[in-house]
Formats: sequence, C-alpha cells, structure tokens
Amino acid sequence: MSELLNLPWHEAKTAATARELVDASLCAIDERNPALNAFLHVARDAAGGMPVAVKDNIVTTGMPTTCASRILGSFVSPFDATAVARLRQSGCSIVGKTNLDEFAMGSSTEHSAFGTARNPWDPTRVPGGSSGGSAVAVAARMVPAALGSETGGSVRQPAALCGVVGLKPTYGRISRNGLVAFGSSVDQIGILTKTVRECAELLGVIAGPDPLDSTSSFAPVDDYAADLDAGIRGLRFGVVREAVSQLEGEVRANFDDALAVLRGAGAVIEEVSVPTIGYAIAVYYIVANAEASANLSRFDGIRYGHRSARAKTIREVYFESRGEGFGDEVKRRIMLGTFALSSGYYDAYYGRAQAVRARLRADFDAAFARFDYLLTPTTPEAAFAIGAKTDDPLAMYLSDIFTAPANLVGIPAIAVPSGFWRGKLPLSLQIMGPRFSERALFRAASAFERETGYWRELPPVCT
Amino acid sequence: MKIDRDEAKRIAGLAHLEFDDAGLDRMAGEMTKILSYIDQLREVDVAGFDSGSSAEATPLRDDVPRPSVDRAAVASNAPAFSADGHFIVPKVIGE
Repeated sequence: MSELLNLPWHEAKTAATARELVDASLCAIDERNPALNAFLHVARDAAGGMPVAVKDNIVTTGMPTTCASRILGSFVSPFDATAVARLRQSGCSIVGKTNLDEFAMGSSTEHSAFGTARNPWDPTRVPGGSSGGSAVAVAARMVPAALGSETGGSVRQPAALCGVVGLKPTYGRISRNGLVAFGSSVDQIGILTKTVRECAELLGVIAGPDPLDSTSSFAPVDDYAADLDAGIRGLRFGVVREAVSQLEGEVRANFDDALAVLRGAGAVIEEVSVPTIGYAIAVYYIVANAEASANLSRFDGIRYGHRSARAKTIREVYFESRGEGFGDEVKRRIMLGTFALSSGYYDAYYGRAQAVRARLRADFDAAFARFDYLLTPTTPEAAFAIGAKTDDPLAMYLSDIFTAPANLVGIPAIAVPSGFWRGKLPLSLQIMGPRFSERALFRAASAFERETGYWRELPPVCT
Repeated sequence: MKIDRDEAKRIAGLAHLEFDDAGLDRMAGEMTKILSYIDQLREVDVAGFDSGSSAEATPLRDDVPRPSVDRAAVASNAPAFSADGHFIVPKVIGE
C-alpha cells in the first residue's frame, strides 16, 4: 500500500481514497520512522485526506507543538497556524509533526532536544536542518508533502541533502501566523515535496494575505502550476560567480552537469557577479539572532511551557526555567543576538549588518536586471556525518552559505535534486528569482526535473 | 572582538540566561570565534546604504473585536493558573 506514496500527488489522489492515502502514510511512518526519527508526534487519529507532515514549530490544534525544545513542555496550541488551517480546509490531513533543530536553529537536526533525525540515504549522516524531519518524511515517502520553515535555508538545505524539492517563497507570500517566531524579518514557511508540481499546487493552497500577519503580502496568488510544461528556451540564467568559484570535485562537476542540462533545454547561461554574497552568513548571524533574542524572551516560565521546580523568586523563574529549558545552540544564539543589540555594540554590529544587507539587496537587484534567474548549488557539499560539525558552530553555519542570501533579500528560491555524490548521496541545484516570481521558478525547476528525473530514485529504506 | 567571562556574564544577565563558570567560559570562547568571523563586515563599503529597515509599509487590519483564545486552553498550558483566571507567579514586590 505504501507504493501509493511513490506516486505524484495528482496520480495518487485518483488511485486511492482519502482514507487509503492516510492509512498508507501512517503505515509507512510505522515502518520507517523508528530508524529515522523524522516525527516527534504521529496523529494516529488523522482524518482521511492528502497526508501532510508539519514541522513542529508551526502550531496545530489537537496535537503538541514542541519546537524540539524542552522549554515548551506539553504545550498544545489553542489555534491552528493559518497555513495549517488552509491545508485542512483544502482536504489535507495533518498526519504528524516533524523533528527540527530546537527553535529551527541549526543545519543538521542534531540540535533537537528529542534526538537527531537521520538521512534516509545513509542513516549515519545528517538530513540537514532545521526542517530535517520534514525532508526525511518526504524523502522516505512517508508523506507526499511537508511544511517546513526557513530563516536562512532551513527548507532548501535539508531538501538538498535528502534529495527532495524545497521551496522558500518570497517573504510575505505565506502567512507567518502560527509559525513560532525566530527572525521575524527573514522567517518564512516553506514547502517540501517529491516533485515540482506538488510543490506548486500546495503553494496555491496556502499562499495569500492574512489579517493575522501584517507582513503577509496582498500580491495576487498566481496559478503556480500554469507554466510547468512551458520550457525554458531563451530564458536567461545567471551563474553567481562568487558562489561557484570555490566549488571543487564532484560538487563542481554536478553543478556543471546541471548547467549543461539547462543549456540543452534552450536556456541562455552566463556568469554574473553578486559582489557581497559572501558576507551573507555574517549578516545573517547578526540579524536573525538579534531578532531571535527578542522573540525568545516570551519563553519565561510564566504563561506556558517549562517552569523550573527550583525557582523560588520571579528572577529565578526566568533564569532557571530558561537555563533548564533551552539547549546550547539556542543559548548561543540568544547570547550573540543580545550582544549585537546591547548598548555600545548596536551600531558596530546590528547597524552594520543591516547596511550590508541593504547593499546585498541592491546587488541582487542589479543581477536580476540582466537575468530571469540566478543559479548556485543549494549546498557546498552532500550530507555530512552525524557529529562532524557539532563542536564547531561556525562550520555548521557555513552549510547555509548559498541559501541564506535569499532570506536576507526576501526573494524566492527553490532546491531541485541534481544527482548523487559518489553515486549515493543527493546533490541539489538552487534556482533563485526576483520577488514574487514563484510561477517562473516552478517553470524552470520543472524543466530541469523533466530532463533529469532524479525524483524517481528511492532511498534504500523504501526498497 | 574578544568576549571574556565578565562580558559573557553581563550579556547572560541581559538575556535572562543562567550559566555556571565553565558554561560562561565556553560561551565566551565560542562567541569570540563567531564574532571574529562576523568582523569581516567591517571591510564592506556601505556608503549610501541605510542601516534602517527597508521593508514596505505595513498595512493595519481593522480594529474590531473578535473572539480571543479560549481561557480553558490557556489554563491548561500554564505552569500555574488560579481558579479565578490568573497566572500565578512568585511574589514580585519586596524581593
């Protein structure tokens, strides 16, 4: 029955009933999740519908939301996130909540308080993060689609390492209401699927303005699947010189192969310079952590979540509840963000980071004046071994070197499978476009997918 | 930028986080390393680029009453909640 989940969504829904689809999903979760730890909660009582998994920092009624943190305790949200409500209204069924780095802070899912998720292509390696559980759930065909969230690449990077499609939409395209806030000027809900078409169809369901998120955009919701078969003849792709100049070995060869595929489909490909792109990680770790230090002040042991049993005074409630409840990476980021906003350092760190961000935005605008799309690999390497980077936060941060720029600039970007490193670990092509160009992004990603067909490859756990 | 134990302690106080001495030393070392990477931002020419937000104007929704979160759901999530509908916290005044 789990073969149903190998079909693209539009075929699966005609091949089986809504009940059968959810049962197939729950069955695949029972069979494959114990070895992969993708799910933190499974909704055994899920209604019939198209099964969708939701990252556990997006709130849902009727099941816990933990953010993979001890500080949330047994929290159950009294409301659904807007994206979740729209999924349910369109006939989707939420079959579970997926593992992540605590509060979405990480690039490997190793910073989860509930154990790391594992890469279905090689369980000794990380699935990426922070939406690692969502990427594993789709890659191991436990669900046809999952929601993730992005602050600096947290959908695209795990999608790349697990060999699935991952979309980070334009800032404001999907309501953030009910997404537990990390970096409010960069956060965005994203979508992970097997195929580009499934991703385009889901975006149409959940995109659009929301009175409960004042940063959600009123830009019209497009027919995102309309141009999937239109091809890319004559469209202009810019290869970001600063990003690809340091590529080596198989990652470089894989990227060159991807360019040849696009060229073969009629694309015009040239190099382009985005001079400040190399500063994105430095900007990101100031801006996102500054915002996180403010956003995470709400976890204080008063209104919900964990309160330290040792606390006798109000000061102890704050300090001890947070000291016990947050993991090391979350504390490190709150500390960095607090430092960057503190008196005496604000201009030198936060102010400077915002100015570099403004210049980065201008550099991207200049590139998009000449090109329809910009290209890089999604990640600088394939999935790394569990434990390889946990003692070196900076090395972990650099996993997001190609993905973080899109968050800072607010543009959409999509990760599409582009082949395999040493024949067994997925690699990925990243396509970026101007703000609100999702329909065009899906067009290009679909053309690449049609020429290559890597989505048909299944990880060992599914065979 | 070098962060020493005293500076890490000052920041932890601002952030409402508790560390033991070993934790403060570790945090100071890691922050120093990360900030030395971030210090490369000093070399970027940002003349003419504003450090303020360039976000578009944020629209406001109509200010009309609507149902709020269910009180029983709030109570069930709270670490300590009184029968008459209040969060219970340790004594604040005279601490």
